[in-house]
Amino acid sequence: MNHPVVARALEEGRLALREWEAYELCAAYGIPHARWLLARTEEEAVAAWRQLGGAVALKVVSPDVLHKSDVGGVLVGVEGEPAIREGFRRLCAELARHAPQARWEGVLVQPVISGCAEVVVGGLRDPQFGPVVMVGAGGILVEVLRDVAFRLAPLDREEALEQIRETSCYRLLQGVRGRPPADPAAVAEVLVRVGELLVSEPHVRELDLNPVVAGPHGCWAVDARVVLDAEP
Amino acid sequence: MEQEAPQGLDAFFAPRGVAVVGASAEPGGVGHQIVTQLQRTRYQGGVYPVNPRAREVRGLPCYPTVLQVPGPVDLAVVAVPAAACLVVAAQLAARRQQRKDLAGAVVVSGGFAETGKQGRELQDQLVRTLRTAGVRLVGPNCLGVADAHTGLTTSFDLGPYPAGGVSLLSQSGAFAMSFLHWALPWQMVGLCKLASVGNMADVTLTELLAYLADDPCTRVVGVYLEGLADARTFVHTAAAVARRKPVVVLKPGRTEAGARAAYSHTGSVTSPDAIYEGAFRQAGVIRARTVSEFYGVVRALERLPLPAGERVAVLSAVGGPGTVCVDEVAAQPHLRLARFSPHTLQRLAAVLSPIAAVGRPEGYVDMTGALSARTHGDALRVLLEDDEVDAVVLLTPPPSFLDEEEVAQSVLEAYHAQPAERRKPVLVVLTFGDAPASARRLLEQGGLCTFEFPEEAAWVLGRMVEYVRFRARGGS
Repeated sequence: MNHPVVARALEEGRLALREWEAYELCAAYGIPHARWLLARTEEEAVAAWRQLGGAVALKVVSPDVLHKSDVGGVLVGVEGEPAIREGFRRLCAELARHAPQARWEGVLVQPVISGCAEVVVGGLRDPQFGPVVMVGAGGILVEVLRDVAFRLAPLDREEALEQIRETSCYRLLQGVRGRPPADPAAVAEVLVRVGELLVSEPHVRELDLNPVVAGPHGCWAVDARVVLDAEP
Repeated sequence: MEQEAPQGLDAFFAPRGVAVVGASAEPGGVGHQIVTQLQRTRYQGGVYPVNPRAREVRGLPCYPTVLQVPGPVDLAVVAVPAAACLVVAAQLAARRQQRKDLAGAVVVSGGFAETGKQGRELQDQLVRTLRTAGVRLVGPNCLGVADAHTGLTTSFDLGPYPAGGVSLLSQSGAFAMSFLHWALPWQMVGLCKLASVGNMADVTLTELLAYLADDPCTRVVGVYLEGLADARTFVHTAAAVARRKPVVVLKPGRTEAGARAAYSHTGSVTSPDAIYEGAFRQAGVIRARTVSEFYGVVRALERLPLPAGERVAVLSAVGGPGTVCVDEVAAQPHLRLARFSPHTLQRLAAVLSPIAAVGRPEGYVDMTGALSARTHGDALRVLLEDDEVDAVVLLTPPPSFLDEEEVAQSVLEAYHAQPAERRKPVLVVLTFGDAPASARRLLEQGGLCTFEFPEEAAWVLGRMVEYVRFRARGGS
């Protein structure tokens, strides 16, 4: 069974989903994510910011870009109409500078969720093990510390909690330095559902939710990357 | 009455007769050595050397091919050069069709898939010839199989061995042999079944693991693993087995260099180690981190009861090693030091010297050198009778001013005085190692496990408790 965004990408011969497509795929499996609005023009970006309120993140949208930060494609904490307009133009210029061949489709506008623990949740299809899910401390720490734990999918909530307890992300979720404790059960639920997604979507090769921001009442993916296999 | 033919993989462990193809009359060859080992182990079935150029091997009549072997023969060990294996395989297949016995073949010879493309083609042909006739294959490129209960062995390296509950599956014959020979002088392991799987052209590690789950003699399965094509199936199988009996795995390949060494050894391309780690935990597989931990955990799981919980008492006659042990117990994520009951503290005071240090920290008893042989057992008994204690690590040199055999007897009496249904594990660290030889022998023969290093005992207990937790959880 292919989700429509997966089917469409494969029809177009594309092996990477756009970020908002990845959110739609996640949503179909009950994986919570930050709200997003797609703005094709500066005016739409301003309208999106007004609708969301407060500081927002602006992210480049292009079917040809998998790692947005490599093309200067992420701005965080942007607020006020002039800043939104300037941010929009800057992302467009940065894309042209770093990846002149890449198609420009506008920007994604998202509220900034902060003040909580950041974890990384991933999924991949291993040649010998098949679908596996991963969790670890989020952000750039995941690359430095490699403090991550894996499980074979599918898995249940209790197993997902065990998986979380194996990494430092469990202590992160307990709340450090006065941050409120987050709910490990919510992260466990995300792991279970990422597992279900991998089992049900044979064309999904890799899924990366980094970070997932966790708070006392839930957690949300605030970035998502999905890579497909042409042949399952 | 005619014995019935063994079913399935039983042909490899309890065959009615074994043909050793390629056994030479003169000592030195692999086949000759296998016949020698089968005579030494007092294997009760028929042993039939097969070699067109010999009339007799070690006093046994030799047959030109397996087709002439008179009695029922369920297993053939093939120790001829790779190039000659296809001819032999055709004879085995013919025997199977004519006589309906010969259900299994162990091909010891190397020179197959591990050498490249040509070798792989040869191996594929070998498997096809045997499988078409209904003959299962272990190997090629392996030491094959052994069963210490039946005396069956196809290994030139393994003769008579004490029978027990440890079954070993190994992607390295040398690894399994090292463990068995290391444990032999003190009889620290009782062997049940052994399979060195080699190239796994037909019978896989996974299939053998599933087979051992139903084997009543196997109490614990130890696996040496370098990499598997069917890793997911292996883990699912292991999860089912682990619910019934412990599965201990040593798998190198934590580093890039280790993974490459495994590739050059068995041709295994392994998945990232972290995935194995997670999959093993999910399946309740006990992953040993070092060879000594593997040896220790496997031995302990064969001999000792599982602890009911995580609360450990450390009872020591030696200060420094006791401190090291307390440190390692406290560092184990699945263990914690016991909190003695007030009654235990009173009773300890009655059996120990006034200079002994009790409960500093919680769970630790330093008996000091002011002790007798009896003190060991008396204090151990008090700790084992405390409901707050799930397991005891006992450390003693034993001191040279005491009779080491009396120390061992006193410890064994305390251990065996426990009610059988609520028995707690006791891990004995002899800090003088092999020096107190008779104490070590007595303790091992008496059903306890001895260790040389304090941290080893703490690690082993940590893994046992991890396994107990898995069993309690039910897993996913």
